[in-house]
Amino acid sequence: MAAMSLLQRASITALAALPGRRLGTRLGFGGFLTRGFPKTAAPVRHSGDHGKRLFIIKPSGFYDKRFLTLLKFYILLTGVPVAIGITLINVFIGEAELAEIPEGYIPEHWEYFKHPISRWIARTFFDCPEKNYERTMSVLQIEAEKADLRLKELEVRRLMRMRGDGPWYQYPTIDKALVDSSPKATPDN
Amino acid sequence: MPDSWDKDVYPEPPRRTPAPSPQTSLPNPITYLTKAFDFLVDRPVTLVRDFIERQHAKNRCYYYHRQFRRVPDITECEEKDVLCMFEAEMQWRRDYKVDQEIVNIIQERMQACQQREGESYKQNCANELEQFARVSKAYQDRYHDLGAHCSARKCLAKQKQRMLAEREAAKEAAAA
Repeated sequence: MAAMSLLQRASITALAALPGRRLGTRLGFGGFLTRGFPKTAAPVRHSGDHGKRLFIIKPSGFYDKRFLTLLKFYILLTGVPVAIGITLINVFIGEAELAEIPEGYIPEHWEYFKHPISRWIARTFFDCPEKNYERTMSVLQIEAEKADLRLKELEVRRLMRMRGDGPWYQYPTIDKALVDSSPKATPDN
Repeated sequence: MPDSWDKDVYPEPPRRTPAPSPQTSLPNPITYLTKAFDFLVDRPVTLVRDFIERQHAKNRCYYYHRQFRRVPDITECEEKDVLCMFEAEMQWRRDYKVDQEIVNIIQERMQACQQREGESYKQNCANELEQFARVSKAYQDRYHDLGAHCSARKCLAKQKQRMLAEREAAKEAAAA
């Protein structure tokens, strides 16, 4: 009773003044006013609970709330197992300790890392840096040899063309014996 | 957790906490607070840490620091020898990183000294300040202004320019 709105109370008092029965049946269709017809209306006092219920008009928070809920869900979906896994690895397997390299022992390339996950990744997926180094040096040597050979080929080509004593730049010509060098009757023979 | 820093390099100043001489007969609340902290925080944390250490002790493994051999320098390489130049370049890059870390360590020592001494750091920290000035001047002479595509060749060229400038200055000083 104390939580009724001013409009509701005013309408109820207005309807109660009219002849009740007929209008009560007519208003019964969609009217919410037939729901709770109080016989008396009490004034609103300062009550001990949260106070008068208000219909607060504000923009819809549905979409923002849904977005944040979904964001939290999808982040935690893989985040929580990953965090649990890393915690278990740190507790039960533990990080490596620093030590001097023993005499005559060559450590594998993953034994230069501290954390067990780094060691696993280096052991399973990555090539050792020595292999990368050697591969780079081999590529450099091949390219350097190719460049050298190309420069040499240009020089050889120039010299052979100039001197004419090499196997390149030899063009077939007609036989010398077939050439008739005797004086001719007309100049255009 | 063990101490991790070298006490000779970063000395702690002597403690000047006076002996307790209570003026009242009321009990000191600090005692109760330390006991509460010890009971509520320190002991559970120590128990958990001991459990973790026991688990670690079961499968203990070690990691090492990389040891690189010294290879011939860029000055000892022939002209078209790409392999020698590549190895010298890689060694120069490693030495560049090492020099950066050296400068950082000297700077940390100077900063620690300044933090220790407070307002009077200019007199008391003269050694550290002078050492840092020397080291940073040397680093600047060798590596400054080489650019993003720095290499051993460019560093060598910078050294050549420096030596030429020194020779000019010596000649002028001898002439004057």
